[in-house]
This record gives sequence, structure tokens and C-alpha cells, in this order.
Amino acid sequence: MSWMIRCQAMLLLLILAAPAQATPIQQATLNNGLRVLLMESHNLPMVAMQLQLPAGSRFDAPGKAGTAAMLAAMLTDHSARHAHDAFSLWLDEQAIQLGAGAGKDTLSLSLTVLREALPQGLDALSEALLQPGWNKKRFAQLQKDAVAAATKSLEEPGYRASLARGKLLYGTHPYASPSAGDANTLAKISVQDIRQLYRQQCRPEGAVLAVSGDITMDTLLPMLNQRWQSWQGKPAVAADHIAKVRPQAVTQQDITMPTTQTLVQFARLGIARHDPDFFPVLVLNHYLGGSGFGSLLMEEVREKRGLVYGVYSYAMPLLATGPLVISLQTRADQAAAAEKLVRQQLDTLARGHVDAQRLKKIKGNLTGGFAQRMDSNRERVGLIGMIGFYHLPLDYLENWTKRVDSVKLADVQRVAKRFMPADEWSVIRVGPGGKKP
Amino acid sequence: MSRTHMSRLLCAILIACLLPVLSEATPLQQASWPNGAKLVVEEDHSAPVAMVQIWLKVGGRDEVPGKTGLAHVFEHMMFKGSKALAPGEYSKRISAMGGNDNAFTSTDFTAYFETVPAAKVKTVIGMEAERFAHLRLDADEFAREIRVIMEERRMRTEDDPNSHMFEELSAAALRLHPYRNPVIGWMQDLQRLRIEDVRDFYHQHYVAANVTVVVVGDVDFASVKKWVGDSFGSMKTHAVPPRFNPEEPEPLGPKDVHVHLPAQLPVVATVIPVPVWQPGRNDREVAALSIATWLLAGGRSALMQQRLVDQQQLAFSVSAGYDPFGMGLDLWYTYGALRHMADAARFRQQVWKLIDELASKPIDARRLQAAKRNIRAGEIFSQDSLYLRAKRIGRMETTGIGAAHYPQWLAALQAVTAKDIQAAVQRWLRPERATTGYLHPEESKR
Repeated sequence: MSWMIRCQAMLLLLILAAPAQATPIQQATLNNGLRVLLMESHNLPMVAMQLQLPAGSRFDAPGKAGTAAMLAAMLTDHSARHAHDAFSLWLDEQAIQLGAGAGKDTLSLSLTVLREALPQGLDALSEALLQPGWNKKRFAQLQKDAVAAATKSLEEPGYRASLARGKLLYGTHPYASPSAGDANTLAKISVQDIRQLYRQQCRPEGAVLAVSGDITMDTLLPMLNQRWQSWQGKPAVAADHIAKVRPQAVTQQDITMPTTQTLVQFARLGIARHDPDFFPVLVLNHYLGGSGFGSLLMEEVREKRGLVYGVYSYAMPLLATGPLVISLQTRADQAAAAEKLVRQQLDTLARGHVDAQRLKKIKGNLTGGFAQRMDSNRERVGLIGMIGFYHLPLDYLENWTKRVDSVKLADVQRVAKRFMPADEWSVIRVGPGGKKP
Repeated sequence: MSRTHMSRLLCAILIACLLPVLSEATPLQQASWPNGAKLVVEEDHSAPVAMVQIWLKVGGRDEVPGKTGLAHVFEHMMFKGSKALAPGEYSKRISAMGGNDNAFTSTDFTAYFETVPAAKVKTVIGMEAERFAHLRLDADEFAREIRVIMEERRMRTEDDPNSHMFEELSAAALRLHPYRNPVIGWMQDLQRLRIEDVRDFYHQHYVAANVTVVVVGDVDFASVKKWVGDSFGSMKTHAVPPRFNPEEPEPLGPKDVHVHLPAQLPVVATVIPVPVWQPGRNDREVAALSIATWLLAGGRSALMQQRLVDQQQLAFSVSAGYDPFGMGLDLWYTYGALRHMADAARFRQQVWKLIDELASKPIDARRLQAAKRNIRAGEIFSQDSLYLRAKRIGRMETTGIGAAHYPQWLAALQAVTAKDIQAAVQRWLRPERATTGYLHPEESKR
């Protein structure tokens, strides 16, 4: 069974979905204006946290996709106080797991530590955040490695499709550029570019620190205030300010690769994080292809016809309109048949044919699966960080199950009409094309 | 899932090892029945969920020549209907109760698992036992599903040059041990498998004596014991023969394998057969190999990263892996993704130089301490996941190590000295025992 596919589906779902009997989220504000959200969990002697900064790849300059990702890599590579090798060994000696990454909207720094090493962990996080080293040699090295990794990624059909998808859905909107960059754009980034992004956007106001683990707010706040008092100000572009997305023309694109399978990817604009139809779309996606073996596409394309190993869909709601994506891979000579089948399913949904029985099961899967979606500290900080960054209500998790339950058949039919018509989806095919597999 | 996939996860697994249990988790509780079925439970009442995993002593090593991929076929057919459930119904029911189900296969085992609300554990154990005992194995379903499996193979292997190269490398490195065959099966075998093969395999291997049920989460042992006793524990007794676990002949010299495939950038990987853990017999040596592997590739300060990527810039991505919980042996590996094939010889030479240094000089005390502390921390972090906890228990049971030996393993890791590392590396990580694979990128051959 598709362990990998399901992992993907689960991860993507997490962006959209969230969990059930939640421990309350506590909120505080640091002296410098940074919001701190904490969910206490004392069953393991560890603490996980994630700092979400309004400095995602949407700020990458045209032609320099990957700038935010390079900034993330540089911040955790070394500091003004520690060269790379010394920083690495120091982190390993304390068993401090420090990470960073860039999404479309945010750049995030993450920390996982044993409770006993929390002071040292916060020292490390603070050093990475507030005392960047900007070492030119290390930058050149990281850039060279990133360019090679992006080149290697071209061996993956999914990566090629994602590069094409950005341009196709977003045109000149900042969401068009791939967060990780590609080999060409990564090579054009300079230290000046990442320093500028850091200076303008890595500010406490509008940022959020999400924490989960063996710690209380009373203990945590002084530790943070003491370390982060010099960090001040608001970002040049406010965290929730972003250009509207203008729809692009529906189109089809074929990318040739010497593979035996063809990857067929359907894509269109979906919803923003604050769309009033958020919950109906969440349920619709789960119904369509977001819930693995319970979903319509898995049943029609794989179970009934054996055309694919995996087929899935996801919605990624962002600050501005995010994408809806359907993806499958099949032997090249079956690709046209699989594509046609997905189109038929989409049109059937668009016409309002939503099966009440299946819908009930899908909602049962979402609500019943709530608790397990936040059963670890590291999963929780991702959810809490999302709640904080997008200014969702703090009782979001507690009310989540109710909101899913309250989605009616008519709601799903309404959003299906809005999003499912097959002729509104662009299609990207990656494979051997007309040639024999 | 292929062994290659598994061994790449090795660092994660390796790091997921250590320290006395500090959480609310209680010690392991076990039960067994006269027909050979076993149960291991780890109670954890911190959230109202449970992980149920059914582990079978059945995997790729139980296939006969010409029938590779057969064990993995079940990972698919178990979802294709039983006496009580129509095809596809199993997953739908799990899904409707808010659960997730899935399965994985390796050379050594097959495992089926569900994460469910704790209140559903009884139902799930009943469903697992029902399909285990009364699998439908319909010919039409099989005909469709074998096509899905071929698509899986195309996606995972044929169209992924790295994994295709590792398949060739494993096949070239071993003469006898079943790790030489891909778990998903050779395409040529998949094309010839028949439903009769599947049925024969089922009757021979899907018997109670091969079952270990693992439950981790918000359950109480006495209830679970009753449910498993009423289901798996009450099945008919079938004797099972010892599993195929041959002694691999000692390598007679270094081997090179050159793989030419459409790809963007070259890869050089080396594999070496090394021993796996046999509790009480080689604790010190195997724990030392584990730590040596962590030093090479485990942390931020990993030696391979510092030397080969940062200083010498011969590769842009490196790793090494060792799985001490295998059966018979493990294929220890190093991996490097290179910018140019011209760097391959030097990369290989420098990997061996690093290994030689581990063998000839005692490791820096700070690095050894860092490795041990990370392994301890990793153990606590891994307890944050019910899945990893259950998986560790299931693996140790199924490969014959025994989950109860886990504290002994953690102690062995903490006891490793710099001398132990030198001795283990000297004995096992030798060039004349190694097989090296080269992925040569080819532009659009097809």
C-alpha cells in the first residue's frame, strides 16, 4: 500500500486540517511584541518549538527563487560567534536539533531539545536568529550544494511538475516561484539578497513562536524576554499583506522525461486561508483524493481499474489563494485513460453528484482522526504555528471537529460546483511523451 | 517498501535508540498462546489513541527463486476482501472510525498497522484476525492488483535512478543472503506470478505461529490480552519450519558495479556485509559499529559531511547507514551524490581514509560523548511517536532479537569505548569486503 503517498497526503492535510480534545493553547506577548503560543505537555521531558517569521519565498525577488530557503540555511549554519564546525559540534554535544526552512508565506526556525537542555537550546536558537554570521565562504558552499541538489531533483517527475505548476497557476504573482528555488535561480542569489530579506522581514511583530512540551508559560517567558530584548521592530511588509492572485488561463503542458511512467498533474487555484468555504473545501478534498483509500479517486483509478499505485489530491490554503492539486503516475501508455477518468470524476462532482454515504464516512475519518493528528510535540508546534501566523481563533482546535461535522451535503455540492469543473483545471504531464515507454 | 528505502532510514532508526523510559509509558507486557501467537503491549495513556500493529515472520526471504515479490503481494491483497469484508471495505471501515491503516514489507517481515481512537482497538484486532484467517484471494482482484504493484515498482525503482542503482548494488554484493533480492520483486517475476502462487504462500505462511500483535497507546493489557486470545490466540496450530537464513560466504575481494541510467548527477555508494545484533554474543562490537556509523553520518558535525562535503567539496550530499536489527547480516552502506563523475575515485578514496582513521586512531572524546547524548535524546524524541515505538517492538520480536532486550541494547551503546570503535571498524569495514556502485548519468537513453 502507498505508505509514501499516504505520508504525503497526511502532511498536506495537516496544513489544512487540525485536531480533537485539544489541551488549551495559552497565549502571551513578549516585551518586543512577539506572540508566543504554548500547549503544555508534560509526559515526555522534551520541548519543541517553531518560530514562524513573515519571510517566506513570496518575498524572493523575480529570478531569485530560493532566497528565503538560502536565508534559512545560512541562519542555522553558523553565527557571528561560532564558525560552522564549532557551531555543529556544540549543537551535537547538547543534542540540540535546530532546523530551518521556507514555505510560501513563512520562514520557520525550529528547535527540539531535551527539557534539561532548554536553556542551551534557546541560546542556540537566539544565536541563529539574532547573531547571523553572513560568512561569504560558507554562503558560496551552501549555494553550490543547493544548486547541485536542485539539479539532482530534476530526476524526480514530481519536482519537474511543481516547477511548471507555479508559473502556470500564478504567472507573475510571488507564489509562482518554487520555495526551494531551482538550479538557475539559486545560482543568482547573493549574500546581499538574503541579508536584505533578513533585515526587512525577520522582525518580532507579526511573527509567532509556537511551543509544545514540558514547560509552563511562567518559566518560558523570562527565558525568552531575557534573550530577545534586543530584537525589535516590525517587518517592512506586514505579515498579512499580500497581492491578490489573478487567475491565469487554463492550459496544458507536456514535459519530456525518459521515464516508464507518465505523471499527470491537475492544478487550479483553490482557496485562501480565510475563505469562508474553508471547511467545505477541506471535506471536499478529503472526499476527492485527500484521504487515501477512503477517497473517490483512489477507488475509481486504483481499486476498480488498477491504473495507478497512487493518486491523491490536496488543497494548500495560504495567505492569498493557494493551489488545488491532483496527481497520479501510471505507465505511459495508460496516462490518457487515467487522465480522462479523473476528468469524468471531476465533472460528476461538479454536477452535484456527491454520495451522502461516502460523505458521512469521510467526515467520520476527519473527526475521528483528530486526536492522532496532534499526538506528538513536533506535530503540535506545526499546527499551533499555523494558528498563530494566520490569526485563527485560539479555540480553533477545540472547535475543529464541530466545524467539520457542520459541513452539509449542500455545502460540499456548492464548493464542488465552484472548484470541480474539469475544464477549469490545467494539466501538466511529465513522461516519455509520444515515444514508447 | 524495499530494503533500500529502509536502510536510508537507518540513521533515523539508529538515532531512535535509547535511555530508560521516562514517560508515562509502562514497561512492556507480553503474552503468548499455544498456537504460537504473541502479544506485546506498551500502555501509554497520554492521548486517547492507540497504534495496533500485526507483525508477521514472513517476508522476502520466505520466497522461493522465481517468485520474488510474493510476500509484498499480500501487503496489497490483504485489502482485497475476506470472508466478512468486500474488497476495499477494510480500509473504508478503518477510515470511517477515524483511523489510518497501512502496511509495509521487508525481507524479514510483513506488518499491518492502524492508528485508531483507543475505543476502537477491540474492533480492529477482530478485523485483523478475520482477514488474516479468511483472506479471499480472488483471481480477478489479483489480476488487477498485480498491475498496481508493477506501477509501484515503476515509480519506486524503474523511474528512480538512485533506487535502481541500489537494487543492482545489493544484488551484486551478496551471493546467498536474501537481501540480494528486491522486496517488491524483479519485474520478470512479477509478470509471471499466478494466483495459485499467492494461495500456496498464504496457506504456508499466514498462520498463528508467525504472528506478533503489538499495541502501543491508551489501552489496558488485560483487555487486549483477552481480545487477542479470542482471535489470533484461538486459531488452529500449524507448525512452521525455521526461516531461510543462510550464512553469506565471506567476500573474496572488492567489487565494482557500474550502472548506466538516465539521470542528472552521479552517485557512488559502497556496501559491506556486517553482523547484526545477537544479544549476549556481540553486543560490544555491534554497538560500536552503530556509534561509528553515527560519527560518520549521524549528527550535524558528522565526519563525512565535514570532510567530504564542506572541506573537500567532493559531494553535495552524503550519508551512511547501519541497521543492527536485521536477520543474518546487514548491508552497511555509504552514499555520496557527486557533481562530476570525475570526482568519484577521489571520493571513494577519501571515504576509505575516514574509515581508516576511525580504525587507527581513538575518536575524540567530545565527539564520542556527543554521539551518546544524541542517541539518548533521540530515544526520548522517538517516544513522541506511537508508530516508531510499536515498530521498534515489532521488528525486534520478528527478527528474533526480542523486544525485552531493548534496555540491554541501550546500555551497550552507552558502554562503547573509543577502542571498541577501532576494533569493530578494523574487523568489518575493509575495502576487500566492499562492493561499490557507480551511477553513470545518461542523457535520454530511451
